[in-house]
Formats: sequence, C-alpha cells, structure tokens
Amino acid sequence: MASTTLNDLPDVILSNIIAAVSDVRSRNSSALVCRKWYLLERATRSALTLRGNLRDLFMVPTCFTSISHLDLSLLSPWGHPLTSASDPALIGHVLRHAFPSVTSLTLYARNPSTIQLIAPQWPFLEHVKLVRWHQRPQIAAAGDELKILISEYGKLNSLDLSAFYCWTDDVPPALESYPSVASNLTCLNLLNPSFSEGFKSDEIKVITKACSNLREFRAACMFDPRYIGYVGDEALVSVSVNCPKLAILHLADTSALSNARGDPEDEGFTQEDAKINVATLIEVFSGLPLLEELALDVCNNVRMSGPALEVLNSKCPKLRSLKLGQFHGITLPVESKLDGVALCQRLESLSIRNVADLTDMGLIAIARGCCRLAKFEVHGCKMITVKGVRTMASLLRRTLVDVKISCCKNLGAVQSLKALEPIQDRIESLHIDCIWDCTTEDLEDLDGFDLNSFDQGEVSGRPVEHTAKHFTGSDYDYDGMGSASKKCRYSYDLNSSYTGVDVNSDGYENGNGYGERTWEKLRYLSLWVAVGQLLTPLASSGLENCPNLEEIRIKIEGDCRELPKPAVREFGLSTLVNYPKLSKMHLDCGDTIGYAHTAPSGQMDLSLWERFYLIGVGHLSLTELDYWPPQDRDVNQRSLSLPAAGLLQECFSLRKLFIHGTAHEHFMMFLLRIHDLRDVQLREDYYPAPENDMSTEMRADSCSRFEAALNRRQISD
Amino acid sequence: MGHSLLEALNVRVVGSGDRILVLAHGFGTDQSAWQRILPFFVRDHRVVLYDLVCAGSVNPDYFDFRRYTTLDAYVDDLLYILDALRIERCTYVGHSISATIGILASIRRPELFTKLVLIGASPRFLNDKNYHGGFEQSEIEKVFSAMEANYAAWVNGFAPLAVGADVPEAVREFSRTLFNMRPDITLFVSRTVFNIDLRGVLGLVRVPCSIIQTAKDVSVPASVATYLKNHLGGRSTVHMLDIEGHLPHLSAPNLLAQELRRALPR
Repeated sequence: MASTTLNDLPDVILSNIIAAVSDVRSRNSSALVCRKWYLLERATRSALTLRGNLRDLFMVPTCFTSISHLDLSLLSPWGHPLTSASDPALIGHVLRHAFPSVTSLTLYARNPSTIQLIAPQWPFLEHVKLVRWHQRPQIAAAGDELKILISEYGKLNSLDLSAFYCWTDDVPPALESYPSVASNLTCLNLLNPSFSEGFKSDEIKVITKACSNLREFRAACMFDPRYIGYVGDEALVSVSVNCPKLAILHLADTSALSNARGDPEDEGFTQEDAKINVATLIEVFSGLPLLEELALDVCNNVRMSGPALEVLNSKCPKLRSLKLGQFHGITLPVESKLDGVALCQRLESLSIRNVADLTDMGLIAIARGCCRLAKFEVHGCKMITVKGVRTMASLLRRTLVDVKISCCKNLGAVQSLKALEPIQDRIESLHIDCIWDCTTEDLEDLDGFDLNSFDQGEVSGRPVEHTAKHFTGSDYDYDGMGSASKKCRYSYDLNSSYTGVDVNSDGYENGNGYGERTWEKLRYLSLWVAVGQLLTPLASSGLENCPNLEEIRIKIEGDCRELPKPAVREFGLSTLVNYPKLSKMHLDCGDTIGYAHTAPSGQMDLSLWERFYLIGVGHLSLTELDYWPPQDRDVNQRSLSLPAAGLLQECFSLRKLFIHGTAHEHFMMFLLRIHDLRDVQLREDYYPAPENDMSTEMRADSCSRFEAALNRRQISD
Repeated sequence: MGHSLLEALNVRVVGSGDRILVLAHGFGTDQSAWQRILPFFVRDHRVVLYDLVCAGSVNPDYFDFRRYTTLDAYVDDLLYILDALRIERCTYVGHSISATIGILASIRRPELFTKLVLIGASPRFLNDKNYHGGFEQSEIEKVFSAMEANYAAWVNGFAPLAVGADVPEAVREFSRTLFNMRPDITLFVSRTVFNIDLRGVLGLVRVPCSIIQTAKDVSVPASVATYLKNHLGGRSTVHMLDIEGHLPHLSAPNLLAQELRRALPR
C-alpha cells in the first residue's frame, strides 16, 4: 500500500491541482477532506454565484479570495433592487472586500441606482452581464443607464445585454459617448428577445463603427422590409467593413428570437422577400475571413442563397458553425454534384429553419459534403422525410451526435426516431416533437436510396475512395452484404442488426412487433408537446431504453382555452421512470395559455391542467427541476396552483427547484416536506416580469420567511 | 396583534384625493385581484387595499383558528385597519364574502361608510324554503368532500389534488378560488362561508348600497340581488352587468370599473 498520498504533495502543486478542478460538486467535496484542502479550495475557486438573502449579505464569506467571475443576479428576493436593502453603501463595501479580484460580473440591474452602487466597486472589470426581466424604468434619456456603466470601466472588453430589458435606443448613444471603451470591446451581445423591434440599419452602423475591434457580435435586428430603417444590404456590408475581426456573428430578427413555433403545414415561404441580395452576402462573407460561427436568422425569404454559402467555404476557412433562418436554395443538388452549403466541408454544426425547398436529396448532399457534422438542427422543412434523414444519419454516422428535428410535417416522434436509427448508439443529444399521429408514408416499404450513383462522378475535389469509405464502413452495415463490394444498397431490411424487427407501422402503440431499442449514449432529450397531447406513447415509440439519459426538457405549448377537459387523468410523466439515470428536468408549460380564475362555463381553469401535467412527477427520482407554470395572459400571471404545489412536494429526492413564475407563500411551505431540498427560488424570468408588489407571491417578506425555514434544516450531505 | 396587523395583512394606501375608497377582495384571491381596477381610481381617490387573513399572501401563522370562527373576527380586522389609518368616512367596495363583511361592518359602525358597493354579494348561499340562495345542500356537500380530501392528503404529506373543476358546475364558479388557500384554512373558512345567514340583519343596514351583479354568475342567482335590494335597510340600487362569472374584476375589469365609477358618490 502506498504510503504517500495526494496530501503529501507540496502546497503549491496541490493548489494548482485543486485550482484546475472546475466541477462545483467536486470542489465542494474536496473542501470537505481536511482543513488544508478546504483553505486551498476556497482560495483557488474562480467563479461563484451568490445565493442567499440580501438582508444577510454582511455574512458573505471572505475566504473566496480568487474569485474572478461573480454572479450577483440570483440573490434573494429574486429581482429586487440591491438598493432596497437597509444600507446599500455597506453592501458595496462588503462585496468589494470579500471579492477583491473580480473581473467578470453578472448583475441584476433593476434600476440605474443599482448600477451606480455596484459599478465603482470593481473599476477594472473586463466583462459585464446585465440582467433585467422587469420593465425598463423611466430614465431621463435613452442610454443613461448604460452610460453610467460604460463610464466606470475603462478596461471593459465584453458586454452582455442579452437578458437586459431595455430599448434599442439605449445602446448606440452609450457607445458613442465613450469611444475609447467602445473600441476596446471585443464581445458585444445584444441578442435580446425583449426588444419589440430590433436594431435598425443606422443603429447597426453606429454600433459597428464604434466597436471596430469586435470579435463577437450578436444582435437582434429589424430585418422586415416593411419597417423604416430595416436592416438590409447596406447595414450588413457595414458590419463586415467596420468589424473585420469578427469570429462570431449572430444576427437574428426579433421574431425569430421569440422561438415561436411555425405551422408545419406552411410551405415555408413568407409573403415578402428580404431585401438582402446574394451578392451582398458574398461581399459580407468575403470581408470576414476570421469567421468561426455565423447565424443569420431572418424573417423573410432569402432566395437562391446557395452561391453565397459556397463563398463561405472559400473565404471563411475557420467556419465551424452555421445557422440560417428562412434561407432558401441552400443546396439544390443536381445529380451527384454538391453545391451550396454542402460545399462547406469544415462545418461541425448546422442549424436550418424554414428552408422551403429542402428535399431529401438536399439532406443527403449536406451529409456527403459536410462530412464532419456533429450537430444538425432542422425546423419547419415540409418536404423532408424519414428516408432523407435516415440516409443522412448513416452517412454522418462517425460524427453526428446532436440532432434536433422540429416542426417538420413528415417527421413526428416515431418517424424521427426511425430516421435516426443509424446513429442510435452514438447520439448524445436529441430533440423531437411528440406528434404521434403523423401521416406519412408506410414505413414498411421504404427502399433506401441507391447511393451507388454517388460513388463515381463529379464530386469536386474529393477522391472516390473517400466517399466509398462512408458507405461500406465496417462499423455499420445495413444488410450484412460485407465490404467486399463497393456497391451498397441501403434498405430497411434490418435483420442483421436488430432482432425481432417487424417494421409494422401500426405496431408502435403496444410495443410488440417492434423490438426494444437502446440509445446507449443519449444523455439529453428535448421534447415538444402540443397542449392536450399525452407523453405516454413515448415509451413505445422507439425510445424504450435510454440507460444514460440524465436530463430531459419538455415544452408544452398551446391554448388550453380551446380544448375540452383532458380525457385521461395524467399527461404521463410517470413514463419517464423507464430512464433510470434521469435526474434533471425542465418542464416548461410557460407557453400554455389558459384561464387562471376566470374560465367561462364549460372551460377549465389552469389548476386542472397543472394537475394533469404534474401527476407522476413524484415517481421520478429527480434532483433538479425547473418548472414554468402555465400562464393566464390576460393578467400576466404565471402562478403555481394548489395541486401543483402538492405534486411538486412529492419529489422526495429533489435538491434544487426553480419555479419560473410566482407562488403563494403557503404553497411554498409545502415544499419544506422535501427533505434534501436546499436551493429554491422563484424566478420570473420572462418579459415582462410582473412589477407590482401587490402580487402577493413576490413580497420580500414571504420570500425571506420561506428561505429562513429552508435554511434552518439540517443538510445530510 | 396590535400595529403589526397592518403589516400582517399587507395594508397599502395608494393614490391621492379627498375621498377614500376601500377595496376588499373575496376568499381565495388577494388584493392583486384589483390590480386592473386600481388605475381607474388612484388619480382622484386614496385607495386602501388589504388582504384577508386567509389570503395566500398572508403568513399562515397569523390565521388563528380559534378567532376566525365567524365573520365577526374579519369585521374586527377591517374596523381595526380603518381606525388605525384614522379614516372617518369611506366608500367600501367588497367582493363576495367581503361584501358580507362590509354589510356587518356598516351595521356596527354606520357613520364610517358613505356607501357600500357590493359585488357578487349574497346574504345566504344555501337554498331555503321560499329563498333561493343558489346552492343545494348536496352540491355544497360535494365541495366539502373535495376540501376534506385535500385536507386529509395534505395532513398526511400527500398531494392535495382536488381543484375547482372537480365540484358540480353550480358551485364551481364560486368555490374555485377557495382552492387557492392552504387546505386546512380552506376547509375551515368554507364552513364559515356556507353557514352565513344575514337575512335577519339586513334591515339594520342604514348605509346606501349599490348592488353589482353579473348576469351570468352561476353561483349567485339574479334573485339574490333583488332580495338584497328589498331587504337592505338603506337606499339600494341594483346594477346588472352583462358579464359571465363570479370575478368581474378579473374577467372584465374595464366594464366593472365604469360601473364602479357610476356607483361612487360624486
């Protein structure tokens, strides 16, 4: 047995080792080993999120001397201004004393006085993220708040306003007033869904001109040509001319940011075209040689965009990630020649939304051309089918691990899962829509695509052997025909790989005749469900075994007011018991709309729906849960009801619970029954966060009483 | 409880003006139910808002089960607040159970109220010989069993699962907000509510009343409004609103605000 242990290492080396540990739980464990380790861990921790009540701020620990990144946006009561504390000046001093080395700060800036209070404490800040979900207060003039911030920080190089409720008018004046700071900025994030309109052309020009050294620029823009001052060719060119060093560029229309789900029946073309020429795009791309990530998410058609995307490949050699919304003609394969985005061979991540003319052949072209693709997202493409996605998955088998398929008419849950069979054992992260009755062709007589025609022919710049490797790779062989022959037919005869497969398109419900499928590496699953639909069919749809699934996100969307009472008692959360390692859940009913108290006769209150959705949540052994209650839009209320509180309290293994809405104090008190619960917060992080403190649930006192009760309990580990 | 009652019941005074308006919510909601009515009145009234002791916002520890056995204790709270704020005369707007509380308060202290505005009020909910209160005994029993089930579950650490939608249609509108309170308080308070019978004392009211009733409130039949008008001691008028439901301040605030304006003394 070794007589030297880790503890015998000299302190200097030991502290370096501990400093390198980034996982918070691991750090906490190491701090429990012995006093020396505790001191070393505390002294080397570099990032900290402060939780705890504002009143108790004077108790902030002073042992974390190396903190460089400090997050103050989650202090309790959530969203309350720091200046409402009894002695604001003291707070500033306490924080400065406890955390002298902060260079990166996240702050909930409810009003300008918060910024005025906190800003002077750390004059050498390099990165600031401002958070505000409450409405922008009435300030003297546009930009005043930001001016206060920018004036303090000569060394600022990164500013993140993506969660800061302000107006687009606030930004350009602040940047123009402090040109030296603006030109120092390398990272600016203005991708904020709270803007009603997005930045206009002039504003984009002003911003990019002021911040010429930007390496990362993200902004919500007004692309719609019906608005005066819309962002068009000129503004786009100005971006590349003013900021040639850009590595990350993300411009999205505000309508795209709000994540509104389209209609799968929609053809995909909008009424009007965007006023963006392909020639402009070519010019822009040519001017940004350092580009690594590009996202252009517009709200009107950009047609025939293929040639511009080809330019991306030649002019932007570092491009790894591409996201396009409403771009058409991205790849229009003719025979086996690759074109458009399929020529971007270095892409590792591709996300496309509403490409109206994308077909299965296009998907295959992308798979052949972007052979390193690890992440693929497709939304709102009506014409693609199981065949195309399946072939794509098998072509990209070596690299593809993250797939998202949403709002595509032919790809409901079962179809999507069928299509991803080729990477079933490799995929790590998946999103599908839980649409159970997708009308699509009978999966039984699907022939695969004959890819032999792709073996030869004009694949520009790619040797034939290279393509053949994909088709006859020894790790996957559809019909067991062996690699002797270069020709390979993909068919849905799966006898060699799976046992007992009977591709019976109506055998899914009861599970037999289909064979259980195992998704070995799947760790993260995201589901979209229309309101009123059930989750129970999931178990027999193809996701039978997910032995390593840890985290799930379920989004339920729709208008309850149009639906009758659910026929079944429960939505089906208990189905998830099938996944033994599931420990984290996001259950988002925030876009489920209904009546909280004022349902007319014949309609149901939201409390009924909450009960329907939450029954069974206690059966899962969750340790972390984020829950968005459904909302009553008429009164801007998202609040927990009695059965919801009761059902949540049945999650006995829960350690963290975040409710993105409001809750009565006595409902919160139910949660104290959960023995190991230690971190709970009500976060109204939606726009606009409810303002008035008439709304009972957010009173500072209620919050404090609950937290005091929570913190008084013994924590076992 | 002393001065802390004002804090415990979250008493707030907003707005400015010579006249004082008191807005009192019904069971199961809290003062935030008035949030869309408030803007119509803050410019020319001082508006007093508070939460009933059983409201979700109030620390449940304050709910003294020995004290709040009848409505008198709630009346005591109201009068205490008005006295502590040194209010001598006010117009009182009460919804549902608070309308009843207002009636009782005006009997005790008639000089305190220039007018009572009663929204969704009823002197007795249970039907009786020759009296149609709107609720049958069997229907009320269903409400109680739902509440008792919730209470039993809650006490034993299980999820209280009954919601407003589980009770018969006739009682649903009225009782849905009751399920917002903690299960033990709900059960207790409901007993108070369904035992109320003010018919005998209506004649003692001297203060003028405006009776506002929604045309389609399943739980408070139109005949109750007429009954009130006929039996209240002071001058009373009935105003029917063409709205559905028991919570007009939530479902149709603009219409209600207009009606309130008309009912307020000039």
